[in-house]
Amino acid sequence: MTLHEKELRAVYTDTLIELMTTNSKVVCLEADLGKSSGTVPRVWDAFPDRFFDVGVAEANMIGISAGLANEGMVPFCATFSPFATRRAYDQITISIAYAENPVKIVGTAPGVTTAKNGATHMCFQDLAIMRAMPNMRVYCPADVYELRSMVRYMAASQKPEYMQLIREVHAPLFDDSYEFDPHQARILDEGADVTLVTTGLTTQFARKAVGSLKQEGIQAEHIHYPSVKPFDVQTLLDSVKKTNAVVTAENQNVIGGLGGAVCEVLAENYPAKVKRLGSQDRFGEVGDVPYLSDTLGFSAPKIADACREMVQAK
Amino acid sequence: MDFDKIESKEQLDQLAKEFRYIITDIMCRAGGGHIGGSLSLVEIIITLYFRVMNVKPDNPRWADRDRFILSKGHAGPTLYTALAYRGYFPKDVLLTLNANGTELPSHVDQVITPGIDQTAGSLGQGLSCANGIALACKLQNKTNHVFCIVGDGESQEGQIWEAGMFAAQHKLDNLVVITDYNKMQIDAEVEKIVSLEPVVDKWRAFGWEVFEMDGHDWDDIHATINKAMAVKDKPAMIVAHTVKAKGNVCYENRIECHFISIPDEDERNRVIGGVCALDDDEPFHFNWTEGK
Ligand SMILES: Cc1ncc(C[n+]2csc(CCOP(=O)(O)OP(=O)(O)O)c2C)c(N)n1
Repeated sequence: MTLHEKELRAVYTDTLIELMTTNSKVVCLEADLGKSSGTVPRVWDAFPDRFFDVGVAEANMIGISAGLANEGMVPFCATFSPFATRRAYDQITISIAYAENPVKIVGTAPGVTTAKNGATHMCFQDLAIMRAMPNMRVYCPADVYELRSMVRYMAASQKPEYMQLIREVHAPLFDDSYEFDPHQARILDEGADVTLVTTGLTTQFARKAVGSLKQEGIQAEHIHYPSVKPFDVQTLLDSVKKTNAVVTAENQNVIGGLGGAVCEVLAENYPAKVKRLGSQDRFGEVGDVPYLSDTLGFSAPKIADACREMVQAK
Repeated sequence: MDFDKIESKEQLDQLAKEFRYIITDIMCRAGGGHIGGSLSLVEIIITLYFRVMNVKPDNPRWADRDRFILSKGHAGPTLYTALAYRGYFPKDVLLTLNANGTELPSHVDQVITPGIDQTAGSLGQGLSCANGIALACKLQNKTNHVFCIVGDGESQEGQIWEAGMFAAQHKLDNLVVITDYNKMQIDAEVEKIVSLEPVVDKWRAFGWEVFEMDGHDWDDIHATINKAMAVKDKPAMIVAHTVKAKGNVCYENRIECHFISIPDEDERNRVIGGVCALDDDEPFHFNWTEGK
């Protein structure tokens, strides 16, 4: 099986096994969702001494990880995105970020991709709340190559880091040569009509939207942000100086996440009109991904509509 | 059937059989679901809703009703089936489980489903909410009871034990909690992840009156809940020994039973066959068109 036919969670597990093989400091933690992240049974079987399933106890997992990192280990701890972030927010804030313990937190099944698990599991604020935490970095890979490079990067970095992990298969956007740099956004399409800013799942949706806009003669400049924090300011400003119109789309609430970051940067540097797509400050519900992303307003057709409106309003 | 007066074992057995078929069927139609932890609770939830709890299905928010908090909110389908049979909503609404726009999401939701007293699904929170509800009932001099079910895996959450200390401190004797001790969670058996043992001694040490029961035996369940309701000056914990995915031979007591995915018709038939197969004389099928 080639890399891009694999589910992202399988690539997360492969990469973790690769890292644990070469670096005896890397440890893997789960909170009874290891089957869902992909590490159960493979990591547990391969490294029974460096795999710890803490049970349904997320705050405890965060504290244990902080202690491990404090002693120089490199803990990767994973659970569903709501439980990886908001469930243990104060523990992450104090024991990890404030204390500068470089734990690697992985939030799986972000936003609508939790689908049939419904509202209680559908976290639309992890990017916002993790971004609002000093010392914390916030990443959102959009394909397997980026994910693999990001996980390798995280194992080597001395920073507390949070990464969203979509579990399913995704179309490849990059290739083997890809190297993740948190200070570098990726321009996936050039255009002068509208700047389209996305991350993670919406980068996938936006590929389709950009294609259909092209057929109508609208050239969107599509920028993917693998890192929402640190945020690559220059790439955004260079683009908006050409287009003067911005659409952001994220698998999140529109308050405080990627759209929020874009608005902050533009308001302080180069005011321009921005349309933010994402949940319009409402909770999720059960449903499939096409239904949810469309009702919430960030499916490929909704992204294309927003770009079209932005261009027409110029 | 007059559900308030179900007493015969035959009636109860028939009800449990229908519940198991329906729970399996609606999950299969929805493409999957939390079958293990739903089927382990069939007898307990039937006993609560058909033999114990004082509720008014035509007035779901009736002020003096007994309350029920399903802290392991992923067992929603069993509770929904009980609510439908008690008349909170028509039985065919069960067919919308997890459909786009449904009133019956996989985890229980007090805002959209009639008869749900407390939203849950993020594990470990429901017992604290049950404490608050029990406290409010006492403050308002109500004589009702508050029932809460927690999972064994769920009991690894620290908040469960914070709630445990509070309930004893405030002598919440209107609170009856049942631990669904099916000995499994998602990644493995509870013993292999983080053991709860000795769970009875733990709750006793936390100041609770503790009982054990066979969570699939009608008489034992009924008698134990009645004893727990009679406890004074302490909260009551019932450790219910159950079997995960009880009653579906495809999954019963197998670790992969937590959540099933049903990709196609063949798999659906196999899993539905798992409940029918138990019924040796005549295979049971629920007729959705007549059954509402
Ligand atoms: C806070 C939180 N963490 C993780 C989950 C995901 N999850 C759902 S069910 C479950 C296992 C629960 O085990 P248990 O309480 O024993 O339930 P049962 O085996 O009876 O289904 C987990 C980890 C969750 N719903 N909430």
